[in-house]
Amino acid sequence: MSLIAFNGVSKTFSGKTAVRALADVDLTIQEGEFVALLGPSGCGKSTLLNLLAGFEPLSDGDLTFDGQTVARPGPDRGVVFQEASLFPWLTVWDNITFGPRVQRQSKADYEGRAREMLRLVGLEAFKDALPAQLSGGMRQRVGIARALVMNPRALLMDEPFGALDAQTRLTMQQLLLDVWQTLGIAVLFVTHDIDEAVLLADRICVMSARPGRITREIPVELPRPRSIDSLITPEFMAYKGMIMTDMKVAHGAH
Amino acid sequence: MAQSEALPADGHTLSAPAPVRRAPAQPQRTGVAHLLTNTAPGRLVLAVSVPVLLLILWQLAGRGTGSLFGGVLPTPDRVWAAWQTWAFGQAGLGLNPYSGTWLSNVLYSAQRVGQGFALATLIGVPFGILIGWNRLAAGTFDPLIQVLRPIPITAWLPFSIAVFGIESMGAVFLIALGAFYPIVINTTAGTRGVEKNWIRAALMMGARPSDILLRVILPASLPSVFTGLRIGLGIGWTAVIVAEMVAVKSGLGYVLWDAYYIGRMDVVIADMASIGLLGYLSDRLILALEHWLLGWRRLQSFQN
Repeated sequence: MSLIAFNGVSKTFSGKTAVRALADVDLTIQEGEFVALLGPSGCGKSTLLNLLAGFEPLSDGDLTFDGQTVARPGPDRGVVFQEASLFPWLTVWDNITFGPRVQRQSKADYEGRAREMLRLVGLEAFKDALPAQLSGGMRQRVGIARALVMNPRALLMDEPFGALDAQTRLTMQQLLLDVWQTLGIAVLFVTHDIDEAVLLADRICVMSARPGRITREIPVELPRPRSIDSLITPEFMAYKGMIMTDMKVAHGAH
Repeated sequence: MAQSEALPADGHTLSAPAPVRRAPAQPQRTGVAHLLTNTAPGRLVLAVSVPVLLLILWQLAGRGTGSLFGGVLPTPDRVWAAWQTWAFGQAGLGLNPYSGTWLSNVLYSAQRVGQGFALATLIGVPFGILIGWNRLAAGTFDPLIQVLRPIPITAWLPFSIAVFGIESMGAVFLIALGAFYPIVINTTAGTRGVEKNWIRAALMMGARPSDILLRVILPASLPSVFTGLRIGLGIGWTAVIVAEMVAVKSGLGYVLWDAYYIGRMDVVIADMASIGLLGYLSDRLILALEHWLLGWRRLQSFQN
């Protein structure tokens, strides 16, 4: 059984003019699989992620996580937001341990794991810093650690590196590869960056807009473990070329 | 010069590979203007310069008769003398009814402001959060507040006297009412301005509604709450003076009006200065509390 299963899922935002954000989406993700949702802005890829996170209800179809219908947000699906969305009044440590604390876990239970996650994202020295004292990349590291500390079955990432400069983005992509290769949890990664999708994902779902639907699924068979050095291999270029052609066709059709 | 470049954030050292924010033009920043704006004694000199100048002009303009405008405005030295008798004179002796009563009147007024302000805070903050958070509560109470708000507290005076009589409670009521509006409105605005993704992040981490309220919405709206508290406290001081002038027989407002009636303008001016001082000190108190609670906020604006 798949960990995540979208079955004919649609989402319409009601209002003066109803907007059909997603139409008839089918998508399954296996345990430990890294899937990238690739598409232009406004194609509904963030909406798809929000449905899975439980932030918004579906209009039609059904969506299950680990066999259960998704009804509300929960710590089994760790979300990493575009702008990190840390609590600015809490220190790095308090941000990371927010989840365990509101779940009323005992300090002995979460402290070791939180320290481990802090180490994994390389922020041990910034335990007591406030988010305002961190750079954008460091804030996003906290965002990742905060999600991972809850031992989620899946990590949902909504263009997490989109606001970072090119250099920092590469560092963060490498970090995410390392983290994922260490923990092996399922990742749904929303992006509009083709390089990023090819570098990270096992499978790329290309989306088109209005209404948002998945137009093509491309398995990426580049060898693991990958690193940012993979970005310049001929195989990588071949995938990139193929997807670019694909997206041009999809775009021209409108 | 060390304090001007003391960055509070150790994050800066790691995040920025290029040493950008260092201003190269250090030598020229030693002028008088720099001293006045960047050192504590300099800032004090700057702050008191205009008041001291005005006091000197006032004193000089009234020399000879000891007052200006035909006896209406006594000079600062006379006001100072009147204040000393008011504060330290022996009570109940001689022709001066105010002798030695300053402290007790200050305490009367301060206590009323304290009680009214505390009441306004205890009701206004939870109410503001409720209105900001719950649409049902907003639909029910927001219109009522918006309709009552334009009625100035002075217009409530007859009502207050009719209900509470010439009693302290009337003043406390007016203070609480006056301070309530800015507190509730700013708290509501703060609550409505809480970022959606903070709530989502908390839900994703398994927070219950009570956690969301106390650990996300309350701290996130605290900056706005403090804006409301500071405005509310200012209105509280206005309200206590108005109430004491008409509806209570003690406190700085009572002395102000009474002294005016018997022509003691020196006491009137000393009274006004006392109100200013108390208002200033109480505002500083709130500011210190805000400083202590909202350190994260200062860091944020420093970076922006």
